[in-house]
Amino acid sequence: MKRLRTTALLAPGTLWLGLFFVLPMLLMLGASVLHRGVYGGVAPGFTLEHYRRLLDPLYLAVLGRTLLWALLATATCLLLGYPVAWTIACSRRYRTLLLMLIVLPFWTSFLVRTFAMIFLLRDTGLINTLLLRLGVIHEPLTLLYTPFAVLLGLVYGFLPFMVLPVYASLEKLDPALLEASATLGARPAAQFFTVTLPLSLPGVIAGSLLVFVSALGSFVTSDLLGGAKQVMIGNLVQGQFTTARNWPFGSAISFVLMLLVLVAVLASLRLRSPEPGR
Amino acid sequence: MKRRPARWILFLVGMVYLLLHLPVLILVVFSFNASRYSVRWTGFTLDWYRRLTERGDLLLGLERSLLVGAVSTILATGFGTLLAVALARRRFRGRRALEGLLYLPIVTPEIVAGISLLVLFVAVGLPLGIATISIAHIAFNIGFVAVIVRARLEGMDQSLEEAALVLGADELTAFRTVTIPLLWPGILAGALLAFILSFDDYVITSLVAGTGSSTLPIVVYSMVRRNIEPSVNAISTLILLVTSLLIWLADRLLREQPLAVARS
Amino acid sequence: MAHDASRREFLAGALGALGAAALGGGCRSGPAPPPAGRAELGPLERELNIYNWSDYIAPEILPAFEREFGVRVTYDTFESSEEMVAKLQAGARGYDLVVPPTYGVTALLATGLLAPLSTRYLTNRGNLAPVFRGLAHDPEDRYTVPWQWGMTGIAWRTDLIAARPESWAVFLDPRYHGKLTMLDDQRDVIGAFLRLRGHSLNSSDPAELEQARRDAVEAKQNLKAYLSAPVKAQLIAGDVWLAQLWNGDAAQAAREQPALAWLLPKEGSTLWIDSLVVPAAAPHPRAAHEFINFSLRPDIAAKIATATGYGSPNRAALPMLTNPVPYPSSNELARLEIEMDLGRATELWDETWTRIKSA
Repeated sequence: MKRLRTTALLAPGTLWLGLFFVLPMLLMLGASVLHRGVYGGVAPGFTLEHYRRLLDPLYLAVLGRTLLWALLATATCLLLGYPVAWTIACSRRYRTLLLMLIVLPFWTSFLVRTFAMIFLLRDTGLINTLLLRLGVIHEPLTLLYTPFAVLLGLVYGFLPFMVLPVYASLEKLDPALLEASATLGARPAAQFFTVTLPLSLPGVIAGSLLVFVSALGSFVTSDLLGGAKQVMIGNLVQGQFTTARNWPFGSAISFVLMLLVLVAVLASLRLRSPEPGR
Repeated sequence: MKRRPARWILFLVGMVYLLLHLPVLILVVFSFNASRYSVRWTGFTLDWYRRLTERGDLLLGLERSLLVGAVSTILATGFGTLLAVALARRRFRGRRALEGLLYLPIVTPEIVAGISLLVLFVAVGLPLGIATISIAHIAFNIGFVAVIVRARLEGMDQSLEEAALVLGADELTAFRTVTIPLLWPGILAGALLAFILSFDDYVITSLVAGTGSSTLPIVVYSMVRRNIEPSVNAISTLILLVTSLLIWLADRLLREQPLAVARS
Repeated sequence: MAHDASRREFLAGALGALGAAALGGGCRSGPAPPPAGRAELGPLERELNIYNWSDYIAPEILPAFEREFGVRVTYDTFESSEEMVAKLQAGARGYDLVVPPTYGVTALLATGLLAPLSTRYLTNRGNLAPVFRGLAHDPEDRYTVPWQWGMTGIAWRTDLIAARPESWAVFLDPRYHGKLTMLDDQRDVIGAFLRLRGHSLNSSDPAELEQARRDAVEAKQNLKAYLSAPVKAQLIAGDVWLAQLWNGDAAQAAREQPALAWLLPKEGSTLWIDSLVVPAAAPHPRAAHEFINFSLRPDIAAKIATATGYGSPNRAALPMLTNPVPYPSSNELARLEIEMDLGRATELWDETWTRIKSA
């Protein structure tokens, strides 16, 4: 009788992650407590100065700002993504098509897509030209290089991260449950909150975490669509390994970020329905 | 899940799809624009498509991106699915830690991930190239797949699998013939995500790529300093065309097959 | 030379110690660098790996070089010179020719990653204009051969702004609120405001930097965005009226939008030079040298400059160019500075930049 050992299930993934993620991260952990090499790299000598430096209000503000953006992006993705996932899961005929259509734009280069969005939002871009022609407005609207543009870009980029898990979770929903609750007198809104939402909660949590965590590290969208007028944690870390030539500080920031994520993830996983035992 | 969603939901969803594809439409239109700059329309031309024959770097980049994408997606999806099953169905020490660990590669800023992997590869003497890019992509996509498949497994009724075992199948067969098909929407979703993440990755790829292994994003991103000329729009349009064709074909094929697995 | 070796061992040791601590492996150091001066480099190899910006070369010269010398060339590209420096510092090998900016040269040199050039193979070196010899980042011309050069200045739409923006102070002018951009680069932005107050753009003085920070924050209110190369499209479209921009890019954009002009502000600015360098661990140093020499031929240099639109440091190539970017006059040279690596002051600059961006 062939057993499917737990170790067989775990081995390939954990080994790969251990070798090619945990190990490099340990190297960077080591780097984060060394001195900065004046022209790059690291210099010997143990120090906690980089972690101490993070407590400066300047850097805490950057962290705070990034957290807010990540939360905003997550909430918006949830509000827009859930209906999309629902529609895909509802549709039997067009399911594959709709799913693929969500993913199709991402076969193009992020940069070219973003430049196309810039063309849409520019003062002399498509939206403004159309609205001016139609006489709806008389002065171009400032759409680009605003928080609105950044949010648009973030939601655009992370929508699949929300739609795909929620869809995967919703798809297994038994229509019989909904019919039963209807028979018992529940109206659509009540059905949604008492049957559908709780059953799709794992997908919602997974999707929200994926968007949130990805948004934490993101910065290129903020630069390209926000006009690079603000600093996100991602900008900071990128800078430390490039212009600032401060690899230890960059590593320290990454570690603090990872710690925060670990706490957030473990906390949200408790929200999920209890572990399915036998 | 076969009910028709309310009208306002369909409208909202329609708007979302429109939003997603509007930039893509613009990108396609500009691939026929005579001007180098995607600023305004100056005339129709097929020159940028012709130019693709000269831009060997774009074509080679595409080839490499597809190769790395295929390899890393298959392995990341495989490893991720196995991990998800273990996390959802089995008890073992360090379960919570592993769940948390899955999210860490996602938050790690790409430059940290890239530099640290580079240092590792150099330290063990692994030559940089397509292989190192694939290794990196797999490592950073396992988490995405595992999380998505896990979400599907969560709360999924196990009665079908139990029935299979009761009927005499061993665990491996039950896994192969019952669990995997039930998981299929989750696996597909995870694989799709893993592929697009690999196909368009820049920072990590750029850092661990060796000589002669520039993928498509590397070629495109490095064009920013001068100007991303419309031949990039042209190749993107062609990619979209081929992908749409494949989707359409897949859709026809899947529709003709009767739905194999009944819901529990 | 001993200096360089000790620095290289030092970095290799540090990284190796990290690697050793984690893996229990030993230190690794690269092959011995070729000796300096007029050293022999051995027979011509069959391959060459170049790492450069995209479209920063005339496409026809690579096949021409391949045909003439029988060397197969692989041309890889990077998006950011700083990422390229970080990649090399992390130990990536395999590149024979790299094209860093001036401060990148300093960083690579200081971490022992560059090999001195062997003049035996650089017979065409005399074609370089004297103004590009003996510069601050490579006073003895031992490691670099200039590839292209340019200046950072101000590009503006003459049809939208009547007055010539002669000073960096134009960015503080509220008249042009929302129509201005500066480069998304801390050296360029902080450097501009340092020059505005008459300081060096390599300054490490905290008081001068603080003043520059205040100016930059004040300017930020007027800025539409921090934009680098992509600002060209916006200048052409007229969304942006005035931008901090490099002269070559302004010239390119002007071909599409004739109402675009460029000038060097009166307080002075950056003279930037991208140079060809040979990494210490280059696997094909002889081929690298032959390519450098090849690119120093007047006709080849002319082709490169025509394709890129930037300035050619090759004075023998100038007569072959239809619209050559003229070398800086002595008047302009007096106002131009070369960006050096900031060394210990890098941390202060980075913090200043973060404060500006967070404001």
